[in-house]
Formats: sequence, C-alpha cells, structure tokens
Amino acid sequence: MALARADLESLLRARQLDRTLTTALPQIDPRDEHALAPCGISALDARLGGGFPRGQLSELVGPRSSGRTSLLLQMMAAATARGELVALVDALDMFDVESAAAAGVDLERLLWIRGHLVTNQGLCRELNQRAIEQAMRAFTLVLQAGNFGLVVFDVAEAPADAVRRLPFTTWLRLQRMVEGSQTACLLVGGEPMARSSAGLTLKFGSRNLETGMRFHGLLFDGLEVQTRIVRARAREQEEACVALSTSA
Amino acid sequence: MPSAPPPEPSALSPQPLYACLYRPPSSDAAAVGTATLLAIAQEFSPRYERQRDDLVTVDVSGLTRLLGPAQTIGEELRREAVARGVRAHVAVAGTQTAAALIALARPGLTVIARGEEASALAPLPLGLLEKYEVRSQKSEEEALRTSDFVLRTSKKWGLRTLGDLASLPTADLVARFGRPARAWQAMARGEDRWPLVPMLEEERFEASLDLEWPISDLEPLSFVLTRLLEPLSTRLERRDRGVAVLHVLLRLVTRDTTARRLELPTPMRDVRALRTLALLDLEAHPAEAAIDRVTIVIDPTPGRVVQHTLYTRAQPTPEQLSTLLARLGALMGQDRFGVPVAVDTDRPGAFAMAPFATDHNDQRSRLRAEGASASLAEARGRCRAEAGTRGTRGEISLEDSAGSARSALNVVSALRRCRQPVPARVAVADGRPVRVTTDRRGFTGGAVTHCAGPWRTSGEWWTERKLEVRSQKLEVKGQSSLQTSNFKLQTSGAEGAGPWDRDEWDVSLSDGAVYRVFRDRDADRWFIDAIVD
Repeated sequence: MALARADLESLLRARQLDRTLTTALPQIDPRDEHALAPCGISALDARLGGGFPRGQLSELVGPRSSGRTSLLLQMMAAATARGELVALVDALDMFDVESAAAAGVDLERLLWIRGHLVTNQGLCRELNQRAIEQAMRAFTLVLQAGNFGLVVFDVAEAPADAVRRLPFTTWLRLQRMVEGSQTACLLVGGEPMARSSAGLTLKFGSRNLETGMRFHGLLFDGLEVQTRIVRARAREQEEACVALSTSA
Repeated sequence: MPSAPPPEPSALSPQPLYACLYRPPSSDAAAVGTATLLAIAQEFSPRYERQRDDLVTVDVSGLTRLLGPAQTIGEELRREAVARGVRAHVAVAGTQTAAALIALARPGLTVIARGEEASALAPLPLGLLEKYEVRSQKSEEEALRTSDFVLRTSKKWGLRTLGDLASLPTADLVARFGRPARAWQAMARGEDRWPLVPMLEEERFEASLDLEWPISDLEPLSFVLTRLLEPLSTRLERRDRGVAVLHVLLRLVTRDTTARRLELPTPMRDVRALRTLALLDLEAHPAEAAIDRVTIVIDPTPGRVVQHTLYTRAQPTPEQLSTLLARLGALMGQDRFGVPVAVDTDRPGAFAMAPFATDHNDQRSRLRAEGASASLAEARGRCRAEAGTRGTRGEISLEDSAGSARSALNVVSALRRCRQPVPARVAVADGRPVRVTTDRRGFTGGAVTHCAGPWRTSGEWWTERKLEVRSQKLEVKGQSSLQTSNFKLQTSGAEGAGPWDRDEWDVSLSDGAVYRVFRDRDADRWFIDAIVD
C-alpha cells in the first residue's frame, strides 16, 4: 500500500499536481533570506523562523480588535523599508492612512486598491458580495503582475458568510499563482479562509477582557494581543504562542 | 593540400578614413547654412557628424572601392561643394581630429597620408586648437582654460606650433596642467579621443492597416494591433527609443475617425504591454461603429537605461505596472487605487490619493535593502538563540515581547476607518458613554467596560458649508436622509470636506471590541468612526 501511495505521489509530482492534491508545501530553506519576509517584530520573527514565507498564502485571522491590523501595518512598514513594493487590496475600504504613516509604512511604495463598499444596500443584498468578488479579481491581477514583495487581501470586517461564498478553488488557484514567487501573500480575515491552501496562519485573540486593553485615565494606551502560530500544511505540525503589545 | 592563409584584417574591414568640410566665414556664410554642408556629406556617406555649424566630418572609409583613393574622394567632395555654391576647405586624413585641424588651417583640398597626421599637423600654429572647440572640451570653463593655456602659457614656454606641444613629455604636461593637457596633446598629434557619432534623421514611427472587412470586436482588433506594433517595436529598438505617447487612430465605416491617446508613464516598447494598454483603453472607450482602418502613431523618446543590481529584490517592471494599473482602472475605476497620501490637516481620517509610480528602481530602495538584510540577520540570530530553549509549544513572556515592542519596534495600534461613520445609540451616564448599540449588521455593541475621552476636535467652521448643511438638514424629511446628509460632512477622508465639530471617545465594549466613537456636537448624534485593531 505504501508503495502504491509513493507511486501515486511521484506521478502527481511529475505532472506538477502534487501541491494541489496533497498537503505538502515546498519547504522553506531557513538560510535563504529571499524565502522569508520578516515582519519587523523580532519576537514574532524568531518564532516564525525568520519571517513569513514567500511563495505561500499566509493568514492573519482573529476577531475585531485583536491586533490583526497593527501587525499588518508593521509587516507593510518592514516590507517597504526593505525597498519592496506592497499592494493592499482593501475590500471594504477601511484602511487608515494615518495609522499606516504612524506605523512607518512608506506610502509611496504602497498600492492601495479600495473596494466598493455600499453602506445602504437597499433591496440589492448582493452588492457587497460583488464588491468582495471584485476585490478578489483585483487581488488576482496584482499577483499576476508579480514581483510585489507583499500582497495583502484584507476582508477582516467582511461577514464570514460572504467570504465563505468565494469558491474554494479560488484559494487553490491563488496558491498556485504565488507558488515559487518572491511574494509574501497575506489574507486578513475574521476566521481562516484559505483552509488547506494556507501555509501559515496566525490566529489572534485578546488575552482578557480586563487586561487585554490598556486605558490610563483619559487615554487609550494600547492592546495586549496573543497570537497563535499554526502551520496547517507544514511537514512538521507546529503550534506556538506569541504575546504582543501595541501602543496607541 | 595547404589551406589558404587567413585574410588580413585590413582586407575585411577598411582602414578608417575621414573627410572634413569647413566653411570659412565670409559674406555669403549666412546664405549657405549648415544644411548645405550636411547635404554634401549625405551625398557621400550615411555616417557623418556635425562638429559645429561650419564644420562637418564624414566617414569615407568604404569609398575607396567606389570612388578611388583618398585624393579622388577629396576632389569629388570639393566638386560637389562647388556645385552647391559652397567655398569649403576639404581635408582627408586617417583621423577625424587631423582632418578637422587641417581643414580649419588650409584652404582648398588637402590629403594626408595615413600615419603622417602628426607630421602634417606639426607646422600648424598652436592657436588652431582654440578654433577647434569640439565636444572634447565639454564645459565652457574647460574651453576657457584651453584658450588661456594656448594664448598665455604657450608664449611663456616658447611653444608656437602643434608640433612643439606634441613633442613635450606627456607626464610632465599632465603634472602641470592636469588631465585636460593630455587631450590637448592628443589633438596636437592628430589622435582621436572620441569615435564619430553619426547623425540620424528624425524617424516617424507610424503604421497603418486597411481592413478588407470592418471589425467591431476587440479580439480581432488585438491581432491587428499586434501586427502593427511588432515592426514598430523593432524599429524603436534599433533606434534605442521607447514609446512616450501611443496614438491609436481608428477610421470607422461611417468615415469618422476615433483617436485615442495613451501617455505612458515610462518609455516602453514591449508589444504585449502596448497592445494590452491600447485594448484596455479601447474597451473603456469603444468606437461607435465598425473599424475599417487602424493607424498607430508613436511619439518616441530615448530608451530607458536600467542598471540592475544583484543586491536588491526584483521589482515589477514599468511595463508590468502600467498594464496592471490599466487593468485595475478598467476593473475598479480610476479613482479606486493609487498611493495614499497623508494630508496636513486635523480632520480625522483625512487622506488623499495620488497616482502610483511605475518606476521604483531608485537608489533609495537599494539603501533600504542593505538595512533590511541586517534586520533579517538580527531576527535569524534571535531565532537561533531561542531554538535551544523552546519546545514544540512555547510562549514568550509578556514582559519580553512588550518590552521589545515598546523600546525598539513601537507597534502602533492601528485603526480601521468606517469611511461612512456608523450611526450608533449611546447611553451616557455622568457624561461618559456606558452602552453602545447600533442597527448595523456586524456591529453587535454592548456595555462599555472602559472608555477614554472626550477629545474635542473641530475645524473649518469658518467655511460656508456649515450653513448650507444646516439649511439642508431642515429641508430633509426622514431620519435616514438626515443621517446621509450628515455623513458626508463627517466622513473621514479628503472627499468629505467641510466643517466638523465633535467629541471623540475610545471605548471598549463587553464583546471585546474597541471602537472610536464620536458625538457630532451640531447634530447631537453618535457615530462609530473607527475600530481599533
């Protein structure tokens, strides 16, 4: 039986179908600095073995106010500081320019693509679903252009059912598109979306309702954030936690 | 059988031979312009260069087989000049410099045998170098220094002729006058320091195709465009030119003409990119009828010279970025993408959009890349240091990570802006919000666990918009319309210009979310402005 499986896998590999039907992603060489995109937070980079893998779909998922966007901006700042181009597909048009500037993102190297969000949909309930699908097409175009250092698809505030309605093959197709490239591809959402196509998933969650947010008198001071690293498709199953802190 | 000896190099390529035409100043100089001299040169060779308005150098290297020896070539040149009414000095020599200096010095025809340039130039006066101001003296300052050297220093040194200067030791000359002295001496010896750069005529890059059957779809048009663009791209490549502006002229069956003009952000000549850009533009601006003639006209510009480096990551090429931006424009709309720009204002959430540049290969990115590799090395070192202490599941202490974040990294709490603020119902006790609820799907709301504020901001109250809006609000009937009119003023972003006056609070709710809410002091209404994330 083992022999038959090996034969099947070798056949799939020969036809370059191994990555779509099995869970094995290409291994990242930790000595290759072009294979990793450090996020700029040394504690997290250390846990990730140097940074986020390039050529894979990675995910930042978690509930509202869990620190996803803070880490995202930090990654974008680190990427632009390396001289890379960053593309942000902002499906719901919620990107805050002031926060990005404060985080140190070089805005000149950021291509911001703003989705069409309709606040009052009226009778046409499908408008925002169409906006997400349109954003996905824009995301695909950016990946096809190639050579961006970091490409982000941000649907963090989108309803979970709207994201789930994207065809499952979308993520497989994206994974195949980004595979072998030097692009770190990042999906930001409320819950995992790429499922078996995702390489690395960072799950965010506030630590505690009382201690997870810091308020000092009349000032909001920041968030205490806990992230859990899940490598769903890695050969070595790994799960680790990292605590982070943000400041307002 | 012994093989034939290899041909001599001289037999394969002709020895260099240059002719120079000089038009001395005279009363008819104005009537006989530079164009006449260039026309004479053009009659003999396509390789000619205008040194000055009155001095033209012609490469006549290959004419010995056609016309005969150098003497015959010179005579033919002189005859042609006379036929065109030009009284020109003609010199033929093995180097451009020798031919030019001889032409400047001697009237009529002078032919210098190959290898005897220096001896032919030797008796000429040193002041001739002053007249021969060619591109070897690149700056005016250098030219003045040459004059100074020739006129003053030569007298002091007792130098009178080019031969005197040519015979001086080069090292000593350079030691006293610097590098330019080497150029002067080379000129005095008749040596060329620059190759001849042939002049090229202005070429028009245009191609058109008449169609037997009119076409109305983009797909067949793409084949036509490819057929037209491919030879144009080849011609552009030969001339080291790129496309600055692409004109697509479509003659319709109605005898009207549709003209599209694409200004490209960077010079390019890639056929696929140009075709895609043209098609995307035509998709957005379709022709009103079927097309029976397609014409492409290109405004050329000097080609882009890119020096790649091994030390920086590859960036998308301008062709790729231009195509991407055109595709995004067709998909999302031209105003939905670009570079965000922070605006110098106190308005919350204000921003502006600028076009995304297509050429990012600058020095700055290289410098950044050097710094980035250092940060990666730092992270990797830390990774190695921790590798020995962690297990398969580990946790970094809060103090460590928080300390590093605060001291070195300063991770900023980011906001997610609600581009149109979400109306909220806020219960207030003792002047502080205690409960926030909304009707918007996805915003559950709840009791306020912590709050910070208020922070009062206002601005542009001096503008006229405020009065207009107040009157507008009175006219509007119905709650939803009232909110809508109010949103536009309070909306973050540069699009929502106008006065604002509000009290902001940062509140954390029982569902774990942290919001920035504000009370519009004019309308006395509450809104959710942003989510802290």
